Amino acid sequence: MQIRLDPAAYSVEAAEKAAYRLIDRIAVLVSTDASAIVCEITPEDPALIDAFKREVLDQQLRLSIRTQTEDVRNLILAFAFSRTGLQQ
Amino acid sequence: MTRFLPAEEFAPKAYALLPCRFEPLDEGLILSNMAGEPMFIDRSRFEALVQGRFSTTDPLFPELRAKHFVREPGEQHPIELLALKVRTKYAHLADFTNLHLFVVTLRCDHSCQYCQVSRQSEDKLRYDMTPETADKALDLVFLSPNPAIKIEIQGGEPLLNWPVVEHIILGAEARNRVARRALQIVIATTLSLVTDDMLYFCRDHNVLLSSSLDGPADLHDRNRPRPGRDSHAKFVAGLTKARDIVGADAVSALMTTAPASMDRVRDIIDEYVRLGFRDIFLRHVSPYGFAAKTRSYAAYNAQKWLEFYKEGLRYILELNAAGVPFVENYSRLLLTKMLTPRDPGFVDLSNPCGAGILAVVFNYDGEVYASDESRMLKEMGDASFRIGDVHKNTYKEIFTSDALLTVLDESFTLSAPMCSDCALEPWCGTDPVFHHGMTGDLLGRKPASEFCKRQMGAVKHLLRLMRDNSDAQRLFRRWAGC
Repeated sequence: MQIRLDPAAYSVEAAEKAAYRLIDRIAVLVSTDASAIVCEITPEDPALIDAFKREVLDQQLRLSIRTQTEDVRNLILAFAFSRTGLQQ
Repeated sequence: MTRFLPAEEFAPKAYALLPCRFEPLDEGLILSNMAGEPMFIDRSRFEALVQGRFSTTDPLFPELRAKHFVREPGEQHPIELLALKVRTKYAHLADFTNLHLFVVTLRCDHSCQYCQVSRQSEDKLRYDMTPETADKALDLVFLSPNPAIKIEIQGGEPLLNWPVVEHIILGAEARNRVARRALQIVIATTLSLVTDDMLYFCRDHNVLLSSSLDGPADLHDRNRPRPGRDSHAKFVAGLTKARDIVGADAVSALMTTAPASMDRVRDIIDEYVRLGFRDIFLRHVSPYGFAAKTRSYAAYNAQKWLEFYKEGLRYILELNAAGVPFVENYSRLLLTKMLTPRDPGFVDLSNPCGAGILAVVFNYDGEVYASDESRMLKEMGDASFRIGDVHKNTYKEIFTSDALLTVLDESFTLSAPMCSDCALEPWCGTDPVFHHGMTGDLLGRKPASEFCKRQMGAVKHLLRLMRDNSDAQRLFRRWAGC
């Protein structure tokens, strides 16, 4: 079973992370061609394929949060560990 | 003309997202912020929040702001507060090792099927710790920078090597007169061999006792065979004497979930209540020692243990509702991580993993292990987690050994696939010794990991109870100390 993801909407990283989350149930080979991110999925279980699609959406959302909050995340960690001695 | 402007007038005009993670929970989502504070939200609202379409007049907005999932653009104090909470959560790391376990003998009078200690028969003196080894280990203990030092003396059955138990306690006290730490000493014993003299010694030296109770007599004696099949009777007699001599709160009890326990959780809890205990730790069997050699571990998986745990928790909630205060300690650990900025520093629920840096084990022969489970693996022939020897290595050599640093580095959850994105990660831990023992890999594949299934199952169960049951929510907040 092949799923083609629009690279304008999804990243390879989201597809890879989704594949990892379902690694105990399906095998996913992720590659790219000129127009899409291509996911080859075995076995062809419709319920698991749907689960993979939902997981790709979640992973893309996680990436969006990470991108939006990366600077402030680093700032919080810098505040948290300054003057603790742990950074030495 | 109204005297006050409507509340919407005071709502922020815009918001900025703060770092957070999410996981599906039933039809909705559970969020956790950087400090591990949880919040429930439905999927459509969360998608709107991430896409910048969320209304600041939404009834959920104040909670999102109070729990540091959003801030007003340019606002600084949410960042400083989050940083303070993150710093509090990791503050214990700077203190380094607290728990020091001394295995004073592998001899034991019990032959429990699931025993994790790979016991030796009682007459093999070569499996006893010597006073010289104990002294070397004690010297290392007091090199830990931790202001609180806990020494747990265990076996086998440590009372079979009582002279060395006394030697360790006296030696620790002598060293502590100079070191001046908050010193706590515990003996982990079945109480079957305890004498009045031993108990008077414990009373005089403020030593606590950690014992084992698997449930009512038929179950306990089945799980813990000894000559005479009288383990439960001896435990009850020892418990009564210990409470009389050492103190009413001097004895705690641990239970191990053997296959025969699986359908008996209410009986087990009833026995704890009957004997005057106010808490229980619904532990699963670790796959080490005899537990892996026999069928004990294969007899139940994470799913079966979760059914046992959930039924036990259901009964404990009923008891509390009926006016019997009783705590489940595994839940208390998880809830403390979920509901407070404190980390209880429990070895199996820590990241970085607690091996060596929260707890360290001195084996009877002087070898040093990163955790109790590491030592059990060694008894099965796998010495991967031996980090040194008290007779050969310095403190620095032991605690900067490649064997220890590799474990800490390679199992760090914030760098691990799946864990790094998981909203439940702040309440979880990493168990590299378990994953190494089961799969040969320190990290393991989390989607297939029994550890991950068990942790996720327990945490999601607690979250559902907090979401759907206001009595449980109040009780859980009390357990967590908030």
